[in-house]
Amino acid sequence: MRRWATEITVVLLLLVGGSGPLGAQGRLTLPGIPNPGVASYAPEIGKYGGTYVISQISDPRTFNPIVVQDTASGAVTGAIFESLVDQDYITGEIVPGLAESWTISQDGRTWTFTLREGLTWADGKPLTTEDVAFSAKAIFTEGVDTSAADLLTFQDQPVRWRVLDRRRIQFITPRAICPVGLFLRLVGAIDVVPKHLLEGVLAKGGADFTKTWGINVTPRELVGSGPFVLQSYVPGQRVTLLRQSKWWQVDKKGQRLPYLTRYVIQIVPNVEQARLKFLAGETDFYAARPREYAELKAQEQRGNFTVYDGPEGFGSEFLVLNQNPAGVGGGGMTPAQLSWFQDVRFRRALNHAIDRNTVAQQVYAGRATAAWSPVSIGNKLYFNDKVTQYPYNLERAQQLLAEAGYRRGTDGVLRDPQGNVVEFTIATNAGNTDREAMGNILRQDFVKLGMRVTFAPESFPSLVGKLTGTYKWQAIIIGLTGGIEPGTGRNVWLASGDLHMWRPNQDKPATEWEAEVDRIFEQVACEPDAAKRKALYARFQEIVAQQVPLMYFTNPKTQPAVRNTIGNVKLGLQGATGTLETRYYKTAYK
Amino acid sequence: MIRYIAVRLINLIPLLLGITLVSFIVIHLSPGDFLAEMRLNPVVSSETIESMRRNFGLDQPMYIQYLKWLRAILRLDFGYSFAYHVPVTWLIGSRLVNTLILNVAALLITWTVAIPIGIYAATRQYSTGDTALSMAAYLGISTPTFFSGLLLLLFAFKTRLLPIGGMTSLDYEFFPWYGKMLDVGHHLVIPAVVLGFLGSAGLMRQMRGNLLEILRQDYIRTARAKGLAERPVIYKHAVRNAINPLITIFGFEIGGLLSGAAIIEIVTGWPGVGRLIFEAITQKDLYVVMGSLLIGSVTLVLGNLIADILLAVVDPRIRYD
Repeated sequence: MRRWATEITVVLLLLVGGSGPLGAQGRLTLPGIPNPGVASYAPEIGKYGGTYVISQISDPRTFNPIVVQDTASGAVTGAIFESLVDQDYITGEIVPGLAESWTISQDGRTWTFTLREGLTWADGKPLTTEDVAFSAKAIFTEGVDTSAADLLTFQDQPVRWRVLDRRRIQFITPRAICPVGLFLRLVGAIDVVPKHLLEGVLAKGGADFTKTWGINVTPRELVGSGPFVLQSYVPGQRVTLLRQSKWWQVDKKGQRLPYLTRYVIQIVPNVEQARLKFLAGETDFYAARPREYAELKAQEQRGNFTVYDGPEGFGSEFLVLNQNPAGVGGGGMTPAQLSWFQDVRFRRALNHAIDRNTVAQQVYAGRATAAWSPVSIGNKLYFNDKVTQYPYNLERAQQLLAEAGYRRGTDGVLRDPQGNVVEFTIATNAGNTDREAMGNILRQDFVKLGMRVTFAPESFPSLVGKLTGTYKWQAIIIGLTGGIEPGTGRNVWLASGDLHMWRPNQDKPATEWEAEVDRIFEQVACEPDAAKRKALYARFQEIVAQQVPLMYFTNPKTQPAVRNTIGNVKLGLQGATGTLETRYYKTAYK
Repeated sequence: MIRYIAVRLINLIPLLLGITLVSFIVIHLSPGDFLAEMRLNPVVSSETIESMRRNFGLDQPMYIQYLKWLRAILRLDFGYSFAYHVPVTWLIGSRLVNTLILNVAALLITWTVAIPIGIYAATRQYSTGDTALSMAAYLGISTPTFFSGLLLLLFAFKTRLLPIGGMTSLDYEFFPWYGKMLDVGHHLVIPAVVLGFLGSAGLMRQMRGNLLEILRQDYIRTARAKGLAERPVIYKHAVRNAINPLITIFGFEIGGLLSGAAIIEIVTGWPGVGRLIFEAITQKDLYVVMGSLLIGSVTLVLGNLIADILLAVVDPRIRYD
């Protein structure tokens, strides 16, 4: 009887003026969701069904999205939970997520987000602004182990929020400072979790909340709004996720996404195993390292996959010299070394002595681009290609050193104007073969300048202790991860930041250029217009390239390899090849 | 005998105290702590890291941390993992069975391979078979586990006969019970073979040496003179006595059943306790390391005890009174 009634209704609807999911105006809709998200970036219309298998190096640490801080856990929670906004993986622009639109007030301090209508959790309960407010509350609760609170705290004041009605919520940045332009990016740090399931736990305290929804959770209890739900987690082996049947996005034809039935993350102990599994056909994706590109290209036919010439990633690796007076003595620097490292002419000379071509060839098999800017060349939104460059030129380096008063004696040894022999030690984290290779290349070139340079890798915790605790070090080769918005790296670039590596935790900027960088970062935080931010970032990059507190090496390229049976593969930023929700399996049965 | 066992068990307590205290101190002596990696994150502020330190209890002096941990242990509360936010018992428990399976399989392979080969080598001393086996044994002992593991992985990759690491297949949950056993067995081949042959090399030499020594004894000569056939001489008289020292070794191996063979687990991706503990040590996940040390020490000492008891049971010359 019910089925009969449904068929009558469908026929009536068709007659009235829709056909299938298209509404009266020809817009795509879903039952109950008048404004679903449309994945218009996907080139193909896919088929339902199939399994997509990837591998990752470590186990997830938690399934609680508020607590997640590592990429392994993020790979799982990213498929299950969502936030108000999303990021287009091809352009990097902010696009609507759970929120379909937003407005900003005249004074730029109040952002009003409107949720889509008809959103539900995987257990069927409606998703409202109460859940968004609850998630924000959880982030700022004392005892909850999260890094999102820092992103949403401006000059020591946390962001405030106000629920207007079921679908609208306002975020208000503190009155004392200027309007926050980066806010759209930062609000993406709030993963929305269901209030009706977690309210009780949060009331018990932050420590209890941190332990909730950990890796020992029963999969059925993990309720999110995203395209997938957790089916099982076998420790040390794999995470299995299944399609969520009530998701709010559709493809260009109005069919509800995702296409895939199952998404499996295999846990492997190291990159070698990941590669072997991919070549043996056990997984469908492998993020190859630059050295492996040529070899993989040769095996494309046999292995039925394609390896793409991807763009550069956003991370950076550099040499940093210690300019911190607190690092003198106690096994750190001599006063003479401090004076050289603080001399910008010394730093510029060294930058000319870094053979970036050899680094690219030896460490990355040629698949890396020379870098002089703190922003990666792969960051299409904000990269400034007109910064001062320092091509590899030992004569120029020697010339700059001579101009600064460093003389090379008859014994070939370089001495500073006071007669001290120029010698120092470069450290890096032991076990990172890429950095060890770079250190050796650098050392050989610096020795050609007449300096006495020792290269001494040491353990990572000891290195971090020196960088952030004792400050007793001379030169270090290290790297940082990077996001698309450089303005979020305040810890590194503000003179008061504790990751301001060459001289952290300053009360007042020690130099004019550091003061200018501070001003740029404050302005950037206040600037809602992306074009104006780009100009500010361009100036920031030029200052860094001129003052060289960090000597960047290269931006390595990415080379993702994808099995040919996977559809909707299109290259985007940082080597991403598509979104999980639009992938589909070209053969219906695996 | 009962008194002996009781005394040994009581001795366990100061031993464990000493082991845990020394381990605690050593872990704290090395620079850095669990939050080292977090400090290099450009987004996380130092205030957040400080509050994390407080939450983990890492800001208190060492002896207070140790005493707190000790008090919790007496209530059988092993604490929480910093990295995973789950109880240490759950974390270790989720992998312990896997390690047990691997170690038992390796133990079986070791003993079923080593004993017969050792006997063969001893009874045909200096023959070509003996020298060949000895050479194989030396090769086995000197090849590092990661190397043989990698070789076998390569073999698996080229021939596609064996899976590349891991313990179960993708669709494991849908298999019937015998399918599940076969699947685990299929994955078990590489790690168990590597571990098993490594152990059997040494054991074979032991067996050979012991048996050779026994075969020179007078009573063997008497038995042969009495007219006994060679087979009962060897198996009924000689081997039984030669096995004695090996019983002790067997006891030690029982003690090692719950400790992970970290290297082979990492190389083949076997989801066992060894890999977990190794990661915990490098990350300085304090309570996981301490918990696993405690479990490892207890099983080791108990294994020793079992070895001694077995020896007393088998060898009438040994009595603990």
